Amino acid sequence: MKRVLVIVMLGLLVFSGLVLAQEKTKVVFWHAMSGTREALIQRMVDNFNLTHPGIEVVAEYKGSYRDTLNAAQAAAVAGNAPNVLHSFEVGTQQLLDMGIFALAQDVIDQYGVVIPWQDYLEPALNYYKIGGVQASFPWNSSNSILYYNKTLLDKAGVTMPREPTFEDIVAISRAVINAGVAEGGITWPMHSWFFEQWMAELGANLLNNDNGRSGYATEINLLDPAAVTIMNWWKQLYDEGLWINPGRESWSQARQNFTTQRVAMMISSTSDVNLTQNAAFDGGWEVGTAFMPVPLGFDRHGVVIGGGSLWLTKGHSDAEMKAAAEFVVYMSQVAQDITWHQSTGYFALRKTSLQALDLEGWYKLHPNYKTASDQLAESQISTATQGALSGVFPDIRTYIEDAAEEVYGGASVTDALTKAKGLIDQALVDYKELMGG
Amino acid sequence: MESKFPSRRLPLLILLPTLLVCGMFLYYPLAQSFSWSLLRAAFMGLRTLYVGTQNYVRLFTSSAYLHSMWISIVFAAGVVLLGLSISLGIALVANRKVRGARIYRTALIWPYALSPAVAGTIWLFLFNPTAGVVNFVLERTVGISPDWVTSRNLAILLVVTAAVWKNLGYNIVFFLAGLQNVPGQVIEAARIDGASAWRCFWKVTLPLLSPTAFFLLIMNMIYAFFGVFGLVDVLTKGGPANATNILIYNLYRDAFQHNKWGMASAQSVILFVMVVGFTLLQFRTTGRKVHYGG
Amino acid sequence: MAGKKKMLDWYFWRPRLSTLSTHLVLFLAALFIASPIIFAVIKSTQSTAQISTYPPQFGIGSSMAENYKVAWQRYNLGRLMVNTFGVAISVMVGKTILSLLAALALVYFDFRFKGLIFIFILVTLMMPVPVRIVPLFKFVSSLGWGNTFWALTVPFLASATGTFLFRQHFMSIPTSLVDAARVDGVGPMRFLWQILLPMSMNTVGAMAVIEFVYLWNQYLWPLIIISSNKNQMIQMGVKQLTVSGPEGMVHWGISMAGVVITMLPPLIMFILLQEQFMRGFALTEEK
Repeated sequence: MKRVLVIVMLGLLVFSGLVLAQEKTKVVFWHAMSGTREALIQRMVDNFNLTHPGIEVVAEYKGSYRDTLNAAQAAAVAGNAPNVLHSFEVGTQQLLDMGIFALAQDVIDQYGVVIPWQDYLEPALNYYKIGGVQASFPWNSSNSILYYNKTLLDKAGVTMPREPTFEDIVAISRAVINAGVAEGGITWPMHSWFFEQWMAELGANLLNNDNGRSGYATEINLLDPAAVTIMNWWKQLYDEGLWINPGRESWSQARQNFTTQRVAMMISSTSDVNLTQNAAFDGGWEVGTAFMPVPLGFDRHGVVIGGGSLWLTKGHSDAEMKAAAEFVVYMSQVAQDITWHQSTGYFALRKTSLQALDLEGWYKLHPNYKTASDQLAESQISTATQGALSGVFPDIRTYIEDAAEEVYGGASVTDALTKAKGLIDQALVDYKELMGG
Repeated sequence: MESKFPSRRLPLLILLPTLLVCGMFLYYPLAQSFSWSLLRAAFMGLRTLYVGTQNYVRLFTSSAYLHSMWISIVFAAGVVLLGLSISLGIALVANRKVRGARIYRTALIWPYALSPAVAGTIWLFLFNPTAGVVNFVLERTVGISPDWVTSRNLAILLVVTAAVWKNLGYNIVFFLAGLQNVPGQVIEAARIDGASAWRCFWKVTLPLLSPTAFFLLIMNMIYAFFGVFGLVDVLTKGGPANATNILIYNLYRDAFQHNKWGMASAQSVILFVMVVGFTLLQFRTTGRKVHYGG
Repeated sequence: MAGKKKMLDWYFWRPRLSTLSTHLVLFLAALFIASPIIFAVIKSTQSTAQISTYPPQFGIGSSMAENYKVAWQRYNLGRLMVNTFGVAISVMVGKTILSLLAALALVYFDFRFKGLIFIFILVTLMMPVPVRIVPLFKFVSSLGWGNTFWALTVPFLASATGTFLFRQHFMSIPTSLVDAARVDGVGPMRFLWQILLPMSMNTVGAMAVIEFVYLWNQYLWPLIIISSNKNQMIQMGVKQLTVSGPEGMVHWGISMAGVVITMLPPLIMFILLQEQFMRGFALTEEK
């Protein structure tokens, strides 16, 4: 009798286990991080699934940010968008206008998920705050800093200040080339992102209507003195052979130029700290970091936060919506936040994480991470540093990169910028019209 | 007319699959290309606005699009001229009766099976300024080490040479087939009459080969317009400063990176008109059919 | 004596010299055509350190096994190749069947609008993917086929080239055959299967090569319609080879190893079916 009872009980247990297993809420998560970062995300997702038995998150890498956004749009057309989408900062306006996403704040309120917004760094939240409402969850945030090869600079007898000027970069580049220690002075990916960062540093809005934040932008400020100054400097570096062009949006060739000591300096994302340090260690040289350079006589206004955030799509069952919200909140909880920062170099987003890292002595050990977070902390809050919003950001970037390429192909700076402005303004106005704005 | 099977239903039934696929996936989307070309669209068509012929007007007044058209023509001309002359030269030699001709033939035409993307990847490596071998050779021999993909003229050269190399096999196959039709006796007769080899080539071989050459001209143009997308995507992504932004790449960028579906559809229509033009030209001159590999 | 005289005779040497120079030219041409691949193969055996030394090394390197293994695993090439094989074989078989059937109908039957239907099929030659790419993408997505095997196969099943080639071939077959078949009471399907097909093997072989190479090398359509890596086609793997690895840089040895792996299947197919390919093509040429 007892045996029968045990068997029945066991059977019930297995049965209920099966039922539970079947009732797992499935959350599909598409992201844009490859290589070791993809593996790290998978570990974080596995941990989440372990600690949340009712939920099963399926993470999938979808290629670059552009690819991921396109895949999500196609899936939305076909009616099977993922629950959670990882998207870059410049896709924000498009994602808002597409109408398939739920605002982060709305989901949090509706499903009673707890998220301590006040513990998040202000600049990270700000980019994704539209009309005062949090639209998405900041996650992998970075900005650009200057890396330099201390060993080569020593050989050339020059030093790098913490906050260099455009003129410093020219002088140091000339020095390392003249000393014959490197082929070129500096490199960075031929990417509009850096231009956008410099506009913010010089306190200039990229777009009108408060950088597209008080209404759809209709004009780009490419003829602003700041824009012309940046381009002139870039042209000077190119013409003198001080800047080595790694190719369009080619992050990897830029890193390669820097880590093989072909150049002495590189401007790149703060998320490259890890890669760069490892390469320097292997190559037996020392890497240093400094703030983004600005022209002499301009005030430093700070940088725009770049990277990505997590978005929730609407139109799923309540269970899925709640599970998806719990998952995105989990991804930036202090423990995950610290792991993510330490393994990638993206910013720690939470004030608590920063304190913990400081106590741990992390920044003493890794002063290069400190540079990045200091640069962010010292940024002034304004529409310039909050970053531009536009539904045609891919066009903006294409045309700015075209302009840069034309400039070092021999075109005059004002001609190239005027041409790009014409094309971008048209795209901005078209978009506004299409949205009925 | 008796040599036919009698049924009237069966032929339609067995034609149906082909007709359905043609109708649904070729004619219908093509017709839609025309209607989409009158719209402005965002988010893959989730939002649209009727704009009439604005897309066409803008394309034909846009210096960027006209430039893209110009680049395509330059690119196609390069691929056709270089590709056809090199492969004709090789085919003429390969057509001689020597021992091992078959092995040589295989050794000359196999790149036909390579993909444009593979050609692009290998070229990217060969011409890489830090790891490639071309720059090493150039530096040793003439003392220069150019950055190929970031210089406008060099980038075109890079794409053209990769495209020509990849298509050599295809061209040689057809030239060899065409040379089979050039009767040996005619050449021999001409040679006995005292014509020089060069004269023979111009007066006898080339005219007899001209149908093949014309066919290859059209096929290479279509290859240069449509077939090299993967090559450009891997090598230059249309850059620098749009120097290699051929029409097909511009179309892809507008359609799937900038999500301008209306504008992209208008470009599809323009390409379609060009294809119709090529095809009519070919029909008219040779009465032969075109194969697009599809 | 005679031998000595020969040695001095230009008319003895001339054809031999000409043969020799032919061999030389052909050998150099073959080498020239193969040289990029030879470099790729050599570099696919070298380690990063060997590749980045200056002057470059042109010998076989030390990390061949390592490079091929990493390329195979990191870029998921096995999976991509299996996917591509599946798609290529399905489309090849489907296309052959559909165009055989269409040609059968067009040649061995009488029905209304026959000429018009043939033109309807033939005109699709002027519709390569780019001229209908946006609506095709939208239509295939709205069928729910985005990111699936169906998107890669079904839209490509009709073949104007195939229909045309088989039609031409059937028309060159004596009509007495079909008369004999009808007298013997052989139906059209059996006629196709037992008589026409065995007589069309060259055309089938040529189609197989053309289609396999075309499908294996397809780039633009999978790039836009397939979003998950596990369903992706092989050329997207090639595209990934030039994107930086986990070290944040392109490892050229691994990339070249990947290139070599991905180019082998169509190359083997091509070399095996070379004769059919040449004959099938000669056919298009003459007609």
